[in-house]
Amino acid sequence: MYHLPNGNTVSIEILKFYISGIELFENSKIIWREKESFHLYSADSSNKTFSLTVPTKFNFDKIKFNLGIDSLTNVSGVMGGDLDPTKGMYWAWQSGYINFKIEGKSNLVSNPKKEFQFHLGGYLQPHYSIQTTTLPITDKSKIDIVFDIVQFLSEIDFSKQNHIMSPSIKALEFSQLAIKCFKVK
Amino acid sequence: MKRVIIIFIAFLFFAFVVEVPIFFTPKKWPKPTYNFLKNPISKEKILLGKILFYDPILSKDNTISCASCHSQYSAFTHIDHALSHGIHDSIGTRNSPALMNLAWQKTFMWDGAINNLDVQALAPISHPSEMGSNINEVIKKINALKKYRQLFKRAFGDSVATGENTLKSISQFLLTIISANAKYDKVMRKEQTFTPQEENGYKLFKKNCSVCHTEPLFTNNEFANNGISLDTKLNDYGKYKISKQSTDSLKFKIPTLRNIEFTFPYMHDGRFKKLSEVLNHYTSSIKASKTLPKELQKPIVLSSNEKVDIIAFLLTLTDKEFIFDKRYSYQNLN
Repeated sequence: MYHLPNGNTVSIEILKFYISGIELFENSKIIWREKESFHLYSADSSNKTFSLTVPTKFNFDKIKFNLGIDSLTNVSGVMGGDLDPTKGMYWAWQSGYINFKIEGKSNLVSNPKKEFQFHLGGYLQPHYSIQTTTLPITDKSKIDIVFDIVQFLSEIDFSKQNHIMSPSIKALEFSQLAIKCFKVK
Repeated sequence: MKRVIIIFIAFLFFAFVVEVPIFFTPKKWPKPTYNFLKNPISKEKILLGKILFYDPILSKDNTISCASCHSQYSAFTHIDHALSHGIHDSIGTRNSPALMNLAWQKTFMWDGAINNLDVQALAPISHPSEMGSNINEVIKKINALKKYRQLFKRAFGDSVATGENTLKSISQFLLTIISANAKYDKVMRKEQTFTPQEENGYKLFKKNCSVCHTEPLFTNNEFANNGISLDTKLNDYGKYKISKQSTDSLKFKIPTLRNIEFTFPYMHDGRFKKLSEVLNHYTSSIKASKTLPKELQKPIVLSSNEKVDIIAFLLTLTDKEFIFDKRYSYQNLN
């Protein structure tokens, strides 16, 4: 349960998203790129973190990654592992991955159950919704990247928007909001 | 004595092993669109896919299989149903397409909603008016059956079914459903000849129809507004629903005409029962709209004799060997 500064109270039932294309940089030069770099993050009450192993033999000062799945992967047929369609992050009625899924309740939602569902995705222009961020790294022994859920929820007007289920301009805008919430602790 | 009998039974068993079709590219056909590197063909995967295709386990109440709406005797479509049926006698909003030569198809569904054969089955599995289930439920049911544990082990070296392997094996069976042995093909290979009527129909076809229904697949894999009026009950704008671009309004996938004798009724909503109605549409009832292609701006002019000749040609696209090919059929599955 999150009590937001604007008086909104939000509870989250599902929060899942894909992190992909992880790269490390030193002085703006790429020094490492993860192979088959697709990770599904799924938060539940017992586990709110997931860890990644990156090689320490390099010096690096920046990490770059995508929120979501690139368009080439989206048109390349069925995949396994974290990309398996049984993970609940693939649309059935229309091809394509859901990059970011959040569902829950907010007292500002106008429907009687107070529920919201945002399934953000879309691999075709003009609604290609994958987002990229580059974050500076100072201490490379332990990199803590957090998703600032309070910031994300604070930027949404739940009274106007409680439902996104397909690629659209709204899905793209929400994806742009979400990527800004990744920060180095 | 006993031992001899056991050996005899073993031989009988092997004699009944299912004959599995294998993928091939017919002569002079383009290269397939499907990426086989990501899903290398094997006999065991094709067999597994075939068994899944015919198994109603894919639907919520175990009543509907892929074959329910895609039966071989009608070139893998739902004959005589304008709109296809699903669980609890529910009726969908579109006419199920005939399945063949799918390795050459770029997108799937009348509106192109599906971008790869591998993920096609997810749509009917989860559509409430079709199979009403979802891939997780299906995988759970599959993994509970010993039969499938053995089949998955043989196909993938792992007895546990995953979404990826299940869908890949269904693709493999679908890829082998190839129709390339109609009279038309035999004439092209110089093994047979057209009758004068078929020959004339072929000429008229090339002049009036082949821009969209391009040989040898009899589709150019594109989408078009073919001038049929909007059914205001269904309000189906085709590709527009997916792309949300006004230039795609009323555009539907151009279907193959192979085996058209068996794939009635015609159009995305099955509104025409007979080929003569289809031809009459193109000559006399094209509805103008912004996305109507230039080929249909002026009505196609055909005399009634010419229409009969075109239909005679279209019937040369019937591939009886395909319709009756035992390797695609339900028999000897278990």
